[in-house]
Amino acid sequence: MAQVPVQTIHRDPQLFYWILFPITIVMILTGILRHYATVLMSSAPKPLDLRSTREQRSLLHGISLRTNFHVLSPRSFHSRRDAVITAYESGAYLKDPERKGQPPANPMTDPSSMDGMMGMMKNQMAMIIPNTLIMSWINAFFSGYVIMKLPFPLTIKFKSMLQAGVGTKDMDPRWMSSISWYFLCMFGLQSVFNFLLGNDNAASQMAQQMGQMGPQAPQMFGPGVDPNKQFLAEAENLAVIEHHSVLHGVEQRLLEGIRV
Amino acid sequence: MAPSLIRSPVQLPPAEALALSQQAPVVLQSSPSTVSSSALGSLFSATEKPELWIQYENLILSCLRTGDDRAAQECYDRLAARFGNNDRVKALGGLIKEAQAQNNGELEKVLKEYDQMLEENNTNLPIMKRRIALLRSMGRLSDAGSALVQLLDFSPTDSEAWSELSDLYFSQGLYPQAIYAMEEVLILAPNAWNVHARLGELQYMAATASGATGAPYQKQMAEAIKRFSRSIELCDNYLRGYYGLKLVTKRLLKDNAKPAKQSDDEDFSLPDSNTIERLNELATAKLAEIVRHSSAQDRGWRGYDAAEVAAARELLSEDAPSGMER
Repeated sequence: MAQVPVQTIHRDPQLFYWILFPITIVMILTGILRHYATVLMSSAPKPLDLRSTREQRSLLHGISLRTNFHVLSPRSFHSRRDAVITAYESGAYLKDPERKGQPPANPMTDPSSMDGMMGMMKNQMAMIIPNTLIMSWINAFFSGYVIMKLPFPLTIKFKSMLQAGVGTKDMDPRWMSSISWYFLCMFGLQSVFNFLLGNDNAASQMAQQMGQMGPQAPQMFGPGVDPNKQFLAEAENLAVIEHHSVLHGVEQRLLEGIRV
Repeated sequence: MAPSLIRSPVQLPPAEALALSQQAPVVLQSSPSTVSSSALGSLFSATEKPELWIQYENLILSCLRTGDDRAAQECYDRLAARFGNNDRVKALGGLIKEAQAQNNGELEKVLKEYDQMLEENNTNLPIMKRRIALLRSMGRLSDAGSALVQLLDFSPTDSEAWSELSDLYFSQGLYPQAIYAMEEVLILAPNAWNVHARLGELQYMAATASGATGAPYQKQMAEAIKRFSRSIELCDNYLRGYYGLKLVTKRLLKDNAKPAKQSDDEDFSLPDSNTIERLNELATAKLAEIVRHSSAQDRGWRGYDAAEVAAARELLSEDAPSGMER
């Protein structure tokens, strides 16, 4: 069987120095710049005021009472439970007790939650703007070049990924165009940024996108959650507990468990 | 375990605290006096480590304890240069000022500063706690108590504050309130054996303080037994647990009281006298074992507090003559 002749394309070796390196360096520099821009733009989280701290921690207190009820004696558990349920149902711990029973405020109009949204917007912008700029820069200057040949064979499916911007049908997929090199840098520079900037950097957009796509844990105290409903649900959870104490029969367990 | 600057030095015995504070010059010299937090600086200079800041904080605590105010001030300056207006750093600064105060008037001044800071930000927990501690050390117990209750009203998940409140009530002889606060600590830290034992101690003291031997007495003694047993169950060879268990069972055996009729299901009742006897024997044997091994410095038996071992030995020796008579 005849060997398929190896495709050879004569390239100017200068292509390598004037395209491959500049793209890589520009990518790294924008990553670093983006990291520090994010650091500069991020505003410190606003401390909670007294009333909302009280609301959240009172709820947490009820939850820990529900999970650890077994350390208490029956009498002290029952008295605690009665007190907590009464307070929860009367709304004593609510941030503003007058608004009890009304639907939660629209998160779009709530100034405190607007802050968070603005932060997210800023992050998105810090990602989109440089990417658009670099992409158009590469498109304007380097489109249509084949800049390097990968040192390993690839199947035909990689053609669309590696030869974006070069519309040649029969070319070996090992040849790579500049715009593909850009994409490769975008996805592959994470470890370089980790090395340069530490682990929790904001340079790579990939990590951020992953975070957005992942399943979001339901927020406990986020905007749009009605605390009164949470308190009522917790009161119900507490009310149905059948109390047993870990102290019951502990002497017998001790005498059986420990031999001198 | 050797004392380390990474762990909190609050519970250390004096000798180890002194050893720690003597490391201060070395630490202060070996680490750079300013750490750049600027953007470019971190690219080139060594990155800062969180351990360094923990070291500084612990150094401040042990230096203040041993009277090395200058080193403490130096550590604080570095923390303040790095973190500026952080709540926790502010509280450390207040602590240093308290330590350097010569008389009551200066303490009052520090207290005023705390009040002012709290007016600016009424959720500043570290400063609130410092203010309470200062009030308590100035002897204004009721003020400290009401400030603590106020703190716990908006932050009821703070186990440190609950246990401080328990201690405060206990120092005033208010046993039921002290027990209630300790139980709150236990809700937040359900498997803390030292808290179980402490609660047992409180129950025992509450039971014996009044001198009566009625149903409430028996109920509290029963719970004390159970608390001590639970603390031993959670931590083998826990000296305080065995000590308390022996103390309670010994007293109950001396009382030789019949368990009262159980009034209702809610309360714990005393175990039968046979069980009490066996618990007493177990505690005696275990205490003797701990005292023996610990004074021989056997492997795996070090680390007991010398004072606690001495107390256990004394308790055992009280027992010895009666043991021979039998």
